[in-house]
Amino acid sequence: MEIDNDVPMQDATEETLDPTLDEDALSKVQEGPGSSGIADHKASKPLQLDSGNIGQLDEWIEHLGKCQVLSEDDVGRLCKMAVDVLQFEENVQPVNVPVTICGDVHGQFHDLMELFKIGGPCPDTNYLFMGDYVDRGYYSVETVSYLVAMKVRYPKRITILRGNHESRQITQVYGFYDECLRKYGSANVWKMFTDLFDYFPITALVDNKVFCLHGGLSPMIETIDQVRELNRIQEVPHEGPMCDLLWSDPDDRGGWGISPRGAGFTFGQDISEQFNHTNDLSLIARAHQLVMEGYAWSHQQSVVTIFSAPNYCYRCGNQAAIMEMDENHNRQFLQYDPSMRPGEPTVSRKTPDYFL
Amino acid sequence: MNRAVQETDYDAFSCKVSAIAKHYLPRQVAGEEKEEGEFVQLHMAYAQGLKSVSRRAYSKVDRAVKSAQPVMNYGTYLRSIAIDEAIACFLKEHANFGADAPVQVVNLGCGSDLRMVQLLSQVPHMKWLDLDFKESVALKSRILKDNSLFQRELGPSEATETAEYSTSRYCLASCNLNDIAQVAETLKRFTTQDCPTLVLSECVLCYMKSIESRALIDYIKSFYKTGTWISYDPIGGDDSADKFGKIMQTNLRESRHLEMPTLMIFNSPEKYVQRFDTPPPSTSVVTMWQYYVQSVSSEEKMRLKALQFLDEIEELEIILSHYILAEASWL
Repeated sequence: MEIDNDVPMQDATEETLDPTLDEDALSKVQEGPGSSGIADHKASKPLQLDSGNIGQLDEWIEHLGKCQVLSEDDVGRLCKMAVDVLQFEENVQPVNVPVTICGDVHGQFHDLMELFKIGGPCPDTNYLFMGDYVDRGYYSVETVSYLVAMKVRYPKRITILRGNHESRQITQVYGFYDECLRKYGSANVWKMFTDLFDYFPITALVDNKVFCLHGGLSPMIETIDQVRELNRIQEVPHEGPMCDLLWSDPDDRGGWGISPRGAGFTFGQDISEQFNHTNDLSLIARAHQLVMEGYAWSHQQSVVTIFSAPNYCYRCGNQAAIMEMDENHNRQFLQYDPSMRPGEPTVSRKTPDYFL
Repeated sequence: MNRAVQETDYDAFSCKVSAIAKHYLPRQVAGEEKEEGEFVQLHMAYAQGLKSVSRRAYSKVDRAVKSAQPVMNYGTYLRSIAIDEAIACFLKEHANFGADAPVQVVNLGCGSDLRMVQLLSQVPHMKWLDLDFKESVALKSRILKDNSLFQRELGPSEATETAEYSTSRYCLASCNLNDIAQVAETLKRFTTQDCPTLVLSECVLCYMKSIESRALIDYIKSFYKTGTWISYDPIGGDDSADKFGKIMQTNLRESRHLEMPTLMIFNSPEKYVQRFDTPPPSTSVVTMWQYYVQSVSSEEKMRLKALQFLDEIEELEIILSHYILAEASWL
């Protein structure tokens, strides 16, 4: 592993990662991971679908499809079922083609419905989502509930990876925590989902050729096998390989660099090419960064960024995109604009913030 | 419409309180710890004052402070220090004429801005005129008069019919900036034509119609012999693929009935600064993104980064690229 000597990596991580959350946010956490109890009685083998739970799931999906939240008890049931699906998935979850690969959604529920219109309904189309379902948009609860319900109902048809926002700390700053409090009157649903996030796979490998993850590469990971060895069932750490996979960004500068985000690293074309070569990959597909056309190539097509939240935060004016991969690994990008927001059923209409 | 514009003051103030609560503001400068402490005290005192005068306004501020996200705190910090720096620069230039040479500041659409408190005590030869809508001025004067801290700093207000708050050096008066006759009368009454004058407009021109802001600029420029205008505003963006401005207009119109009539007219930094019609060497303009990249020291950037997880640099760049600070001077 080569580390650029100009980069004071040790210093950078120590200085930038420590006091990352304000006191208010820290004081919100009363109990640690696992306190929701959703993983107290894990099954020893994957959840078996039968007519009973299929009926239940279909009912929830129909309800959620109308952008209506489930009851707290139902969220608990859903999360328990999801633990028994996700705990058996791998750190590097294998995925077959054809598949449609999607980036950040960020609680923009109506745009997620638009995504399924553009890409084709699930389970007819296979989907791979690369994280960041919650925070920023106004419908994080509905969005993550819907995707988790789809995952449990069609476990082989949809893959949901973990993004840096699927974390206890980040959701307390960027909205999911507050949204749960507002919609349920307590933090219980937030605890259940954030406990569930610990089980999400962190990367996927499409037909052994396309490595998919939320953020990017890590100076501590040279091979995909090293990802398989990680213990992922935990809160996203502040540093180390798991943190980097969810936080890093590609950059024009070569080598490793300090990330302006305060976590993860930037990595250059040399790093991407070496990683793809070592692991016999054709492409790294990742999300995590807002790109105005919805997708953007970098590192001479070694890396692609996919972002699936159009008009991000109802303010940025960007297009969104998804990437279809067919049986022959042909890739096609589908771009789309925001759906209209009909009627704002759950929260009153809220303006995105501006400086006024 | 006036009310919608007036209410933007609560946004500006709550952004400031949030940036203070999260320790973005005040900017930390070695040797200025006392001023920094005062800055915090003044704003907390004003927030308390707002609570006792208008529960409604206070609850708006309180809600906004609780939900403020890092991008907003960054932008508020930058807006605040960029304007402070431009003011300091003006004062420094005019200090050359000797300590007694008077200068005056006209703060258009002052809202809850409290800059005058510290600046008046730091710069003895300065006079300050705060102007805003009648209701905004009434609210501000009540808060200033009810609080001993402001009373001590500003001195007690003299009884006058033309201003809500008046001392020998500070004046807070109502004025409709869309009414040039009223502007003329107000400026004649409270300021001196031949004194070097700093005009501040912080998110003010953007709410005015083109013709009315034109008239205001023309009048003020012809009224004061020597002046510098510092203006902070949003710009819509002049790239056809850039939808930020149009979305901003739609969002604010639909949810708050707030119009920004010139956002897409003066949509680039260059076009914005041209509205002051001053020749090039005496004008400058930066976007807040440029200001962040070029003018914020790396130590200060590190300090900001440690305050909250700012996880979206791209979004920050998009937003900050649509706000500018323009400076135009005339002789």
